[in-house]
Amino acid sequence: MARPRSLSYTGTVAVAAVLVLCAWRAEAVPSFARQTGMACEACHTVYPELTHFGRVFKANGYVLDNVKQVRDVDQRKQQLLSLAQVPPLSIMAQISYTQLKEPIPDLANVDIPGEAQNGTAAFPQQLSIFYAGKIAPHFGAFFQITYGNDSGTVSIDNTDLRFADVRILPDDRSLVYGVSLNNNPTVQDLWNSTPAFGFPYSASNATVSPLAATQIDGTLGQDVAGMSAYALWNESLYAEFGGYRSAKQGATNQLTGAAGPLDGTVSNVISGVAPYWRIAYEYNWNRHSIEVGAYGLDVRLLPGGASGAPFPLQRPYNRFKDVAQDFQYQFVDDTHLLTVSGTRIHESMNLGATFAAQGSANATNDLTTTRLWATYYWRRRVGGTLGFFSTSGTADTGLYPGSPDGLVGVVTSANGSPDTRGWIAEVNYLPWLNTKLSVQYTAYTKFNGGGTNYDGVGRNASDNNSLYFLLWFAY
Amino acid sequence: MSSLDLHHPNVRIPLRAPWAVHALTATLAWTGLGCAFAADTDVANEQFARKLAVAVCASCHGPGGNSEQPKFPRLAGQHANYLTAQLRNFRAQTRGDSDAIAYMWGMAAELSDESIDALAKYYASQHPTTAASGNRAEIDRGREIYLHGIASEGVPACASCHGADARGTSDFPKLAGQHAQYVLKQLGAFQSNMRNVAVMHGVAQNLRVAEMKAVASYLEAQP
Repeated sequence: MARPRSLSYTGTVAVAAVLVLCAWRAEAVPSFARQTGMACEACHTVYPELTHFGRVFKANGYVLDNVKQVRDVDQRKQQLLSLAQVPPLSIMAQISYTQLKEPIPDLANVDIPGEAQNGTAAFPQQLSIFYAGKIAPHFGAFFQITYGNDSGTVSIDNTDLRFADVRILPDDRSLVYGVSLNNNPTVQDLWNSTPAFGFPYSASNATVSPLAATQIDGTLGQDVAGMSAYALWNESLYAEFGGYRSAKQGATNQLTGAAGPLDGTVSNVISGVAPYWRIAYEYNWNRHSIEVGAYGLDVRLLPGGASGAPFPLQRPYNRFKDVAQDFQYQFVDDTHLLTVSGTRIHESMNLGATFAAQGSANATNDLTTTRLWATYYWRRRVGGTLGFFSTSGTADTGLYPGSPDGLVGVVTSANGSPDTRGWIAEVNYLPWLNTKLSVQYTAYTKFNGGGTNYDGVGRNASDNNSLYFLLWFAY
Repeated sequence: MSSLDLHHPNVRIPLRAPWAVHALTATLAWTGLGCAFAADTDVANEQFARKLAVAVCASCHGPGGNSEQPKFPRLAGQHANYLTAQLRNFRAQTRGDSDAIAYMWGMAAELSDESIDALAKYYASQHPTTAASGNRAEIDRGREIYLHGIASEGVPACASCHGADARGTSDFPKLAGQHAQYVLKQLGAFQSNMRNVAVMHGVAQNLRVAEMKAVASYLEAQP
């Protein structure tokens, strides 16, 4: 995504966060199938959406195995080692083609205006290697490294390491409990209604992204390290509490040249620990399953600086308090599968740092994102999803600035509003359970605050509509 | 599901599936539910089976084997002999209906004979919950077929093996209270020989879908 010149010096937290907003990461991992000996359908309706069994498998730390092990035990017959004879490795590829409704300006040479080529082939858009499965008897991993065509490099992707155990209560109910160590708030969650594994499960990285997103909505992904403790009672009541610290990738200390400690050459560093919480209840009957829940994150970000413009990691900070609700309904049958799901995230911003630096027009702002979607599949082979998304909040000409010269728009807002709204329609065909062909159309009715001429330079929200073809497989 | 694999190292190790048996004691040792040096392997097996049933099997087969989801059969009160035979068939990959392949071939792959026996005993000792009700006319039609067969189509009475009350015997499974969808699917699998059981293929080969549905509805409604 092109970085607008008007924002290059602001260093504001919210906007910087938007700039790192990347394509949604989503996974399907056949190594779990090899480890358990069970087909994809045990854990997924259609990947990456989980079934009840898949959620319980995840809560238990990805460790259920049904294959021969290399073992070691001590003289007290305590297990010292339990290794699957085949390591739980998988690969995943996404190959895509994206067409925007209207091309965007080419700013490579501002003196000679042009148009960026419309129609982006990504081969691959993403190529991932997973270690996904058991490490030791109570210790499992969902570990992903990804080559992305946007960065052209290999880097850490969504990762969730878990220690888990289970107690059988006197009434023959189970209590699963554990600890997750992960790098993206909600990547550890069991339901697909939360951001990390919510719809859209894959999206193009060759489109125009809106300016605003909440912190918990993927903004912090792969840039933090979090540890949380959780419990799942009777496969129905779930509670989790933990905290996140910044874990910047590619950052070095200017003095030592080492990977840390973080200094003023990096931006948006979490002050202290950002608490994360989650509570959910799931009820299953016949072929139905329904979940309702809430989750949240309270993060204080020190603005810091950049390598060319360092600024000490010191107060004041910007505080983002995210509180969200979610639900998920599933009907799972051999022939018909239906999922209706959604989430609403509300963020209260207290921009102590950015406002003091005149990077925002207001000291406090609100931002709300709502997503709702319904997915239907016939025999896990042909299906589709219709989704609605909306982000709205306080207008702020500092955070969501207009075009500085009235010439370059696209990623700006003429009225300072973050409001963005639209629909996503997706059709999928799975010739095999680990291979998905998708066509996805994203239609905006509002973008960065407006429907028509939203950037003040003549671009309409619908000009950012996109058509996205995707081949997505994992082995 | 549990944080355990299905392996466990304290019980006598049979030659054919050593680590599967090892799993039993290791599990108990790790989880604190049992003693790694359990003198009484029957007790250890029983505890292991309970833990496995509650922590793993229950996700599909429900608490105590009273499954809510019709895709997964109810196991509460089923005859141990039948459960043992099926688990061994899954392990040997000789039971070939689609859900057996997708779910149980993997699930049973590393179970030892002792684990299988203990699981079978666990479910046999569980109490089934109340039977479901259904379409009255269909149930009556199913009752007729179940008790008397369909002479004109060469379909024998199910009751002759599974008992008039559908409670089965040590050699034939209990069918009373089973999910209709599951029974229907199994009859289809017998008919197509995906689940290759000669006797049941013979019984089911001439059944029409509507007749299978009727029998399945009748059975689901039986206590």
